[in-house]
Amino acid sequence: MKKRGIGIGCGFYGTGYGNGFPDVSRARAKLETDGKIGIYVGATEVGQGAKTVLQQIAAEAMGVSIEDIKFYCESTENTPDAGTAAASRQTYNTGNAIKKACEALKEGLIYIAIDKLLLNSAVGIRVENKKVYLESYPQSAISFEDIAKALTEPLCFEESFTAGTTKMEEESGQGAPYWPYTFSVYGVEVEVDTQTGFVEVLKAVCAQDVGRAINPQLLEGQIDGGFSMALGYALMEDLRLTNGEIRNNRFSSYIIPTALDMPEVKKIIVEDPEVTGPYGAKGVGEPVMVAAAPAILNAIYNAVGVRMREIPVTPDRLLEALMEKE
Amino acid sequence: MLKQVGKAEIRVDGPAKVTGRASYPQDLYMAGMLYGKTLRSSKPHAEITIDTTEAEGLKGVIKILTFKDVPHNHYGVLFKDHEVFCSKKVRSIGDPIAFVIATSEKIAHMAIEKIKIDYRELPGVFDAIEAMQSDAPKIHDKGNLIYHYKLRRGNVESAFDRAAAVAENTYRTSMVDHAFLQPEAGLAYLEGSQVVVCVATQYPHFDRQEISEALALPLDRIKVINPAVGGAFGGREDITLQIHLALAAILIGRPVKAVYSREESFAAHSKRHPMVMTYKTAADAEGKLIAMEASIVGDTGAYASWAINVIRKAGVHATGPYVIPNVKVDSYVVYTNNPFAGAMRGFGATQVPIAHEQQMDILAEKLRLDPIEFRLKNCFKPGDRTATGQLLHHSVPLVECIDKVSEWMNQNTGADGGAIE
Amino acid sequence: MKEISLRVNGEERSAEIHEEMRLLDLLRDALHLTGTKEGCGEGECGACTVIMEGKTVNSCMVMAFQAEGKEIITIEGMATKDKLHPIQRAFLEKGAVQCGFCIPGMVLSAKVLLDENPIPTRDEIREGISGNLCRCTGYNKIVDAIETAAGYLNTGGDSNA
Repeated sequence: MKKRGIGIGCGFYGTGYGNGFPDVSRARAKLETDGKIGIYVGATEVGQGAKTVLQQIAAEAMGVSIEDIKFYCESTENTPDAGTAAASRQTYNTGNAIKKACEALKEGLIYIAIDKLLLNSAVGIRVENKKVYLESYPQSAISFEDIAKALTEPLCFEESFTAGTTKMEEESGQGAPYWPYTFSVYGVEVEVDTQTGFVEVLKAVCAQDVGRAINPQLLEGQIDGGFSMALGYALMEDLRLTNGEIRNNRFSSYIIPTALDMPEVKKIIVEDPEVTGPYGAKGVGEPVMVAAAPAILNAIYNAVGVRMREIPVTPDRLLEALMEKE
Repeated sequence: MLKQVGKAEIRVDGPAKVTGRASYPQDLYMAGMLYGKTLRSSKPHAEITIDTTEAEGLKGVIKILTFKDVPHNHYGVLFKDHEVFCSKKVRSIGDPIAFVIATSEKIAHMAIEKIKIDYRELPGVFDAIEAMQSDAPKIHDKGNLIYHYKLRRGNVESAFDRAAAVAENTYRTSMVDHAFLQPEAGLAYLEGSQVVVCVATQYPHFDRQEISEALALPLDRIKVINPAVGGAFGGREDITLQIHLALAAILIGRPVKAVYSREESFAAHSKRHPMVMTYKTAADAEGKLIAMEASIVGDTGAYASWAINVIRKAGVHATGPYVIPNVKVDSYVVYTNNPFAGAMRGFGATQVPIAHEQQMDILAEKLRLDPIEFRLKNCFKPGDRTATGQLLHHSVPLVECIDKVSEWMNQNTGADGGAIE
Repeated sequence: MKEISLRVNGEERSAEIHEEMRLLDLLRDALHLTGTKEGCGEGECGACTVIMEGKTVNSCMVMAFQAEGKEIITIEGMATKDKLHPIQRAFLEKGAVQCGFCIPGMVLSAKVLLDENPIPTRDEIREGISGNLCRCTGYNKIVDAIETAAGYLNTGGDSNA
C-alpha cells in the first residue's frame, strides 16, 4: 500500500568559526591600469558562487558593473588571507572585507579627483560609472582610467573584517558564540510504499532567510543542492562501517540522490536585512541543509505512523519499523 | 538604490565550466612529470614496521617517501594529531604510510603492492560511547574524550516536574561522506626558490601554513594555487595530498602529480560526525516549551580535525530555533578507530535537527496541537534569547518562513497522513 | 602499443594506445581533451560521459581500442569558436552550474536526450540525466536548463539569433 504524509522542519544556523575564535577576512581593492577595479582576496570558489557574489558586492560598492571588476582569488601569492570557504562565512565575512576595501578605494579616488578637478571639498562628489564627478556640475569629471594613467604609484587598499563572536562561559556555555543566525524552514510531502519500505519525496518547499539576496539565482541553487544532500542524509547515505572499514566506498554502493530522486522544490527567499552584513546579506550554504532531513522524517511519521529515530531511513529499516508497529 | 545586489548575474566561472575549459587539478599536465601514489593502512589500529626495499628496486620508481623524510611529521586543523606518514602506529584504515613516486601511475601502483608493512594489531574501539569508558583502548596518548561542552540555563529538573507533556527519545545519525564529484588531485613543482602546489582546497592560505610547518619551510617559499574546485562541502578543509606532493617536488626537483580514485577519496578525507543524541523535552499545558535536556555524543574517529568546534556547534544549536527557558546540554566528542570526521555542511547543526524537530512533532501530538501552531508559539522572534543567552535583536524572520511554508503546503499538498490506494 | 584512428569533434585524430587504455585516458592523456572528467572509474557517476556514434557512453567503461574508427563528441566539440551551443547557454542562463565537475557529462547527456526526444517532459529529462550524478545543484536547475534548451533548439537553434 502507498501512503502519503506531510512534514515540516525548522532550523537555524550561527555563522562563522564561533566561540571567540578570530574570524578574519582580508581583501584588497586596487585601481588597475585600465581603470578597472582589481579585487585580490584568498576566498575559494568551491562551486557555491563566491566569485560571482563577491564581485557583485565589489561592483555595488564601486558603482560599476561586474564586467569592470577583475577578480583574483586563486593563488596565495597575490591574495591576502580571507579565511576558509566554510561556516557559511564567505558572503558575510569576506563580502564585508571587500566592501570595506572598495569604500577605502573610493575615498582614495575622490581624494585624487579633488586635486585633479581643482575642487576644494569632497562634498557633492559622486563615484559612478567608472568616473568621479561633481553632482551639481557633471562636466567636472574624471574617469577611473584617467586617474589610473596619472598615478605614479598603485592605488590599492587592504581592509579586513572580523566577525563578532565571544567565548562562551566555561561551565554554563553562556555567551554570544555566533553572529548572524540564519533561519530556514522546509515542508515536504512523501509517499511511503509499505510493501517495499521505499520513501519517495513528492514535493518540497523551502522558505529561506537570506538577510538580503545578493544573487537570487545562486541562492535558489543552494536551496536545491542543500535539499538534495539532506535527502541523501535522511534516506540513502550509509558508509556501512564495519570495524572501522568503509564498506560502501564507491558510487555503486554509496548511494547519493540522482535526478530521479529529487522532487521539485518550491524556493521562497525571505529578506530581512542583517545590519552587520554586506548590504544586509547572510550566508546560506549550510543553513539550506539543516531543516530538510527532519521534515522528511516527520512526513514519514505522518504517512505511516512510525517514528524513525535513526538515519538513514533505508527501505529495510523502515520495513522493520512497520513490522514492529503491527 | 542597489544596482548590482539582488541581480541574478550569470555565474562568472560558468562559461569555462560549460565548455570544459575550467581546469581542476587533475587536468594539469607538465612535461617530465612524475606520478605519486599513497600507501594507506589496511588495519584500524596497529603498530607498524615499514620495509620499502623491494619496492624501491622496481624500475621506474624514483623515490618512496615515509615518515623519515618529513621534518615535522604532523598536521591538523585544531591539534597536530595527524602524522604526514604514520611512523609507529596506524589509528584508522586509510591512514597514509608511504608515498611512491614513479615514472608512471602503473609503476607507482605496482610499487605500492611491493611495500611490506608488518602490522601488529592492537585492540580497537569503534563505538563512541564505548570509547568513553576508562578501560577502552586509547587512540592517542591522552584519553579518548576530546571535549565536553556544557550548556546550562535555568533549572530543568523543576521545569520537568510541572510539564504537561514530555518527550524522551534517543536519535542516531550516521557517518556520511561529502561525495563531491571531483576526487582529490594535485600537481606540485618547483619555480625558482618556491614550491608550487596546485590543489583543490577550501583554504589555500591554511594549506600553505600546514605545508610550511610540516616541511619546516618559510611561508614565502610555498605557493598554493587553487584552480577550479569540484565541490567541497567541508571535505577539503583538512590536508590530504598537499604535503606529500610538496615534499616530493622538493626532494626530486621534478613536477609530481597525484590523482585519487573514488575509493581513495573515501579513505582520505573527513566525514560527517555520527551522533547519538538523547533528548528530553517538555512543554506546559499552553503549549509552551519549558525545558530541554540533551546528551550528545559525537564520534570523530581517529583524528580530531574540527571535533571541538563541531560538537560545540551541535550543543549551541541543540534546542532548535525555539525559546526554552530551562536547558541543560552536555555534548561530548571522542576518538575511536573509525575514519576521521571533520567539517561537513552544517557542522554539527545538521545532526541536532534530526532530534529536536522530531521532538517537536512528538510533543505537538501529545498536546493535540498542530505542529505548525506549536512551532509558531515557541519559535524565535526578534527580542528573544537563545539558550546561550544571546539576544536576537533583529533579522529573525522565522515566523515569516514558517507562515510561507505553511501557506504553500496548504495549497499544494493533499494527503495528511493517509492511504492513497 | 598500437595506433588507432577515430573522429573526435569532427576531426580525424590518431593516437598511440596500449591495451589497458580506456577511452577516457585516450581523450584526456593523449588528446589533451580534459573537459571529460573522471569521477568514479566504474560507470556510476557519468562525469566521463561522451557521445560515441550518437549515443552517450561512460568513457571510463569503454576501452580505447573500441573507439577505433568511431565518431566521438566531447564537451570541447559543443561550442563553436565564438558561440556556445544552445544547451550550454541554457545551463548558464538557468543557473544549472555550480562546481562544474559533472557539467560536461550533463551537457552531453542532454544533447543525446534532445536529439532523440526534442520535446521531453520534465520526468523524461530526469530519466535522461539519471546516469549523471551531481552533488551541488540538486538537479532542478539542470532540468530547467534542458527544458529551456529544448525550446531554443526547436526554434532554430538560437532564440537570440
